[in-house]
Amino acid sequence: MKNTLYIFLVALFSMLTSCTDVVEVDVPTADARLVIEASLDIVKGTSGMEQTIKLSTTTPYFETEEPRAVTGAEVTVTRVSDNAVFVFEDQLNGEYTTTSFGALLDETYTLNVVYNGETFTATETLLPTTSITRVTQSRDGGFLPEALELNVYFNDPVDETNFYILRYFEVGDLYPTLFSVSDEFLNGNEVHMFFEKDGDDEEDEFEPGDIVDVNLYNVSETYYNYMDILIGQSGSSGNPFSPAPVELRGNCINITNADNYPYGYFRVTQTDAVTYTFIEDEE
Amino acid sequence: MMKTTLSVCFLLLGVIMHSQENFSVSGTIKDFSNGESVFGASVYLENTSNGTITNAYGFYSLSAPKGTYNLVVSYLGYVTVSRQIQLDKNQNVSFELEEDTTTLDEVVITAEESEKANIRDPQMSVSVIKGETIKKIPAVLGEVDLVKSIQMLPGVTNNGEGSNGFNVRGGATDQNLVLLDEAIIYNESHLFGFFSVFNADVVKDVKLYKGNIPSNYGGRVSSVLDIRQKEGNSKDFDLTGGIGLISSRLAAEGPLFKSKGSFIVAGRSSYAHLFLQAAGQDNTAYFYDVNAKGNYEINQNNKLYLSGYFGRDILNFSDSFKNSYGNSTLNLRWNHVFNDKLFSNLSVIYSMYNYGLTLDFIGLDWQSDIKNFNVKYDFKYYLNNKTTIDFGVSGINYNFNPGEVRPTDEDSSINEDILDEKRAFESGVYANVEHKFTDRLNLQLGLRFSLFNRLGGQAISTYENNQPVVYNENFGIYEEGTKTGEIDYSKGESIKTFSNFEPRLGLAYQLNESSSVKLGYSRIAQYLHLLSNTANATPLDVWAPSGTFIEPQLANQYSIGYFKELSNGLFSIETEAYYKTVDNRIDYIDGSNLIAQNNIETQILSGESRAYGLEFLFRKNKGRFTGWFAYTLSKSEQRTPGGSAGGLGINDGEWYNTAYDRTHDLSVTGSYELSEKWSLSSNFIFQTGRPTTYPVGQYEYEGLSIPVYDSRNANRLPSYNRLDVGATYTPNKKPNAKWKGEWVFSIYNLYDRKNAASISFGQNLETGVNEATRTAIFGIVPSITYNFKF
Repeated sequence: MKNTLYIFLVALFSMLTSCTDVVEVDVPTADARLVIEASLDIVKGTSGMEQTIKLSTTTPYFETEEPRAVTGAEVTVTRVSDNAVFVFEDQLNGEYTTTSFGALLDETYTLNVVYNGETFTATETLLPTTSITRVTQSRDGGFLPEALELNVYFNDPVDETNFYILRYFEVGDLYPTLFSVSDEFLNGNEVHMFFEKDGDDEEDEFEPGDIVDVNLYNVSETYYNYMDILIGQSGSSGNPFSPAPVELRGNCINITNADNYPYGYFRVTQTDAVTYTFIEDEE
Repeated sequence: MMKTTLSVCFLLLGVIMHSQENFSVSGTIKDFSNGESVFGASVYLENTSNGTITNAYGFYSLSAPKGTYNLVVSYLGYVTVSRQIQLDKNQNVSFELEEDTTTLDEVVITAEESEKANIRDPQMSVSVIKGETIKKIPAVLGEVDLVKSIQMLPGVTNNGEGSNGFNVRGGATDQNLVLLDEAIIYNESHLFGFFSVFNADVVKDVKLYKGNIPSNYGGRVSSVLDIRQKEGNSKDFDLTGGIGLISSRLAAEGPLFKSKGSFIVAGRSSYAHLFLQAAGQDNTAYFYDVNAKGNYEINQNNKLYLSGYFGRDILNFSDSFKNSYGNSTLNLRWNHVFNDKLFSNLSVIYSMYNYGLTLDFIGLDWQSDIKNFNVKYDFKYYLNNKTTIDFGVSGINYNFNPGEVRPTDEDSSINEDILDEKRAFESGVYANVEHKFTDRLNLQLGLRFSLFNRLGGQAISTYENNQPVVYNENFGIYEEGTKTGEIDYSKGESIKTFSNFEPRLGLAYQLNESSSVKLGYSRIAQYLHLLSNTANATPLDVWAPSGTFIEPQLANQYSIGYFKELSNGLFSIETEAYYKTVDNRIDYIDGSNLIAQNNIETQILSGESRAYGLEFLFRKNKGRFTGWFAYTLSKSEQRTPGGSAGGLGINDGEWYNTAYDRTHDLSVTGSYELSEKWSLSSNFIFQTGRPTTYPVGQYEYEGLSIPVYDSRNANRLPSYNRLDVGATYTPNKKPNAKWKGEWVFSIYNLYDRKNAASISFGQNLETGVNEATRTAIFGIVPSITYNFKF
C-alpha cells in the first residue's frame, strides 16, 4: 500500500521526463553467497506433499547464464512439535524435492541445509490463508483508463493485523508480478486489488483469452517486510524517488559462520489459488 | 560556552566605555527612478575612516565628533553623490541615487557593489546575487531560475535536473533555511525541481550564507538563503512581463497613497499539458505562483510592509492521480526608527506548506502540511563609528500534520487514519556585535540562545528496553522495537525541551588596501528534520520535530578565507576552506518505511556527518565582459552507528558518502555586451557524479532476478556536465519610449549530453535480462522568451 505512493511518484517522474535509455554500466561484483529459495506453498484444498527447495549462488549482476545451481547439499525440514523430518532429495540441478511433506496448519517448521561444511537454518510457521472471494475484469479502473485489468477481492479479518503477498502470473510470461499488502489502512474491509499490465504500447496490455494465475498468501510481518523491499528493488531500484537500495537479508542464518550469511527466505505458507481467463467484454 | 558569553559582555562594556560625545547622521537611500530602497550602498564621511553600508531597508546611521563633513553615498552603477553637512546636532539626511547614464554609451556594465568580495566585512562565506544578475544566466527553457543560479557559486550543488532543493557545503537540502521576505519556504521547487518557486521579476536580491551564519538566523545548520522581494515602484506605474515556451508572467507595480507607498503584484503560470509527450490528453502538469507586496510610509520613522506568496503545483494523471502542493506565506512588517541610532523591525509571519494527493484507483486521499506562525523583533543599534550591535528575539510556533488518510468514496477499501499531529515552539534570542578594532581588524561576535519546546497534544509510544529500533542479531537487520505502551501528553504539557548556546564569530584582517584574511566559526542547532529516504527529496516528504527520540542536529563549522581585489576592483578572488561537523544526523534503517509512519523513531538511527572542502571564486566585476569561475573540491560523508539499538549500525558503522558528496564542482559563467542591441551569455558546469548504490550481484527468487546490494552510496553516477548559451536582443532602444521589449534566446545543454538523473537496474520486460536504464531529464533545449516593460 505504502509503496503505491512511491510508485505514484515514479510514474509522475517518468511522465515528466520519459527520456530513458539503456546504458552500459560497470558494476562491482561481491563474493558469491548461497541463496536459499525455500518456499513451501500449500495450495488450499491440496495436501501439499510435493515440495521443492532451490539452492543457488549469487552471480555477477549482468551475467546472463542460468543461475549457478548448488548441488551436493543436505536439505531437511523438521516439524518442531513431533520432530518429523522431511528429507529433500538432491535433483543435481539445484532443486531438492520431497513427495511426502506433512503440512499441518499452525505448526512450526525448521529448515536445515548443510553445504560446504556449514549449516544454515531457518524457522517458520504455517499460517492459514484468507480466501479470494472473487476475481473480475474491468476496463474503467486501474491506472490506464482503457486497459483491461484484473480485480481480486478478499475479506480482511478485523480482529488481527494481516500481511499478504499477491502473486500474478500470466501464462507464457517470463516472470510473475508480486504485490505486498498490509491491512494498515484496510483492516476489516473487503480488500480490492487490481492488476493491470502496462508497457510501451497497447500490445503489452491484457487481451481477451489471456490466462492469469492468482495466488494469495497470508504471511508473517517479517516476510512481508522482506518481500516489500524485494519487490521494490527488483522493479526499478535506483529511481530517484524510490528508497535508496539496501542489502536484503532473509530469515536463514549460518550457524557455523555467521559472516557467510545466505540470501533468500524459508517460508511455509498456505495459498489460495485462482486461475482467470479474460473474456471479451461487452462494449 | 560560558567564556564566549563573558567575552561578549566584556566587548560590549569596552565599547561603551570608549564611546565619546558624538553627533549622528542617519537616513535612507533610495533609487531615484523607482523609489526602491538601496541595500548595500556605501555611506561615508569623506577623508575619514568613518563609513557604513545601508541595511536591507536602505537605512544607514553614522556618528562622528562635531564638525563639518562631506557625506558621500556611492553605489556601483549609480552616480556618487555628496553633500556638506554641519554635524552640530543629530540629523536626518536621505538621498535618492540616479543611475549612472554616462556609462551607457560605453556599454560598461558593472557587478553590483555588494556582489564583489567585500574586503573589510568580517562576514565571510556569503554570496549576494542581484535579481538582474540572475536574469542574465541562461536558463533551461528560458525560465530564469534563482535556485539554479546559486548553484553556479562555489560550494553549492544539487542532484541535477529534476531534484528538489540544493546542497550547500555537503549539507542536505533540509539543512537550508530558505526565507522569502523572512517567511520560511519548505519546498523551493516546482515540478520536482525543474523550476524554483521564486519569480525572478519580483526578486530584488538574494543573499546566501554558506557558513559563518550571523546570529540573527537560526534553525538550519547548512545555509541561509535570504530572498528579498522588490518593494514596487513608488514613482511610476510599471508593467513588466514575459512570454516564454514554458510559462508566462506579468508583474504590475506602482505608487500608492500619493507616493507614500507602493505595491508590486506578480503572477506566473506555466502552461498545462507541459512535457506530457507520451501521456494521453487527460494529463496535466503545471504550476502557478502569485507574489504581492505593498508598503506604506506612515512618517519618516515608521514604515509598514505587507508581503505574501502563494504557489501551487498541480499534477493530474488521467483522473487516477490528483496531486496539488505548494507554499503560502504572509508577512506584516513594521520598520520603526526609534532615534538616529536605533533602527527596529517587527515582523509577524505566517508560512505553510501543504501536500495533497488523491489516488482514485485505490480510493485513497492523502493530506499533509506544516504550518508556522513566527514573530520576530530585530534591532540594529549604531553605537558609534566603530560599533554596531544587532539584537532581537524570535518565536516560531509550529504545527505539523504528517498525514491524514481518507477514503475517497464509499466503495474504497481504505479506512480513515490520521497520524498524530505534532506541535512545537522554537524561540531564540540573539546579539551580534560588529566592532572595528583598528583600521585593519574587524570583528563580528554573535551569540544566539535557542530553545525548542516539543509540545503535547499527542501520545508518545514507549518501547521495550527503551529501544524503538532493535538489532536482530540472527538476521543481521534492524527492526522496529516492541511497543509497550503510550504516554499521553496534553496540549499544555511539554514533551521535551532542548536549548543551545550558539556562538558565531567572524574576523577580518586587512592585509592591505586590496586583500584580507578572514576567519569564521559558527555553531548552529537545527530542531527540524525532513524525513526522506529517497535519493532526491520529494514533495511528499514530511518534516518532523525533535523530541523524545530525535535529538536536534548540531553543527560546528570552521572556515578560513583569503580575499583579494585586483586592478582596482576589476577582478576579485575569494578562496575559502571549511570544515563542518553535524551531530545527531539521522539516517534510515535498511527497508525503512517513512510514508504514513506514525512512529518515525522505529525507522531511524542517529549518527553524525562531516564535510570539508576548498572553494575558489574568481570574478570579473566590470567591463563589457563580466562573469565568474568557481571551483570546489570537497568531501561529505556520514556515519550511523547502532547506538542503543545494538549492532554495528548502518553500513556496518563505517563512514559512507552522503548522497550529495561531490568531489569536483566547477562552474563558469559569463556575459558579454556585444553592442547596444545584443548581449551574449554562457555557462558551463562540471560536477562529479552523485553517489549511488549499484548492484554487486544477482540471484533468482520467485522467478525474478533480484539485485544484490551491500555498501551504501559506494558507487557514483557518471559525471554531470553541460554548456548553456544565451543571447538577448533589444530592438531599437528609443530612450523616450515607454514600451521596452527584449528577446531572449537560449540553448540549454548545447552539446546534448544525456546527464543521468538516475540509473536504475531491472529486468527487461521482453527478454528478462538485467539491464541498466538511464533517466536523463533534458537533452539540448532551445528556447525563446519575449520580455517587456511598459
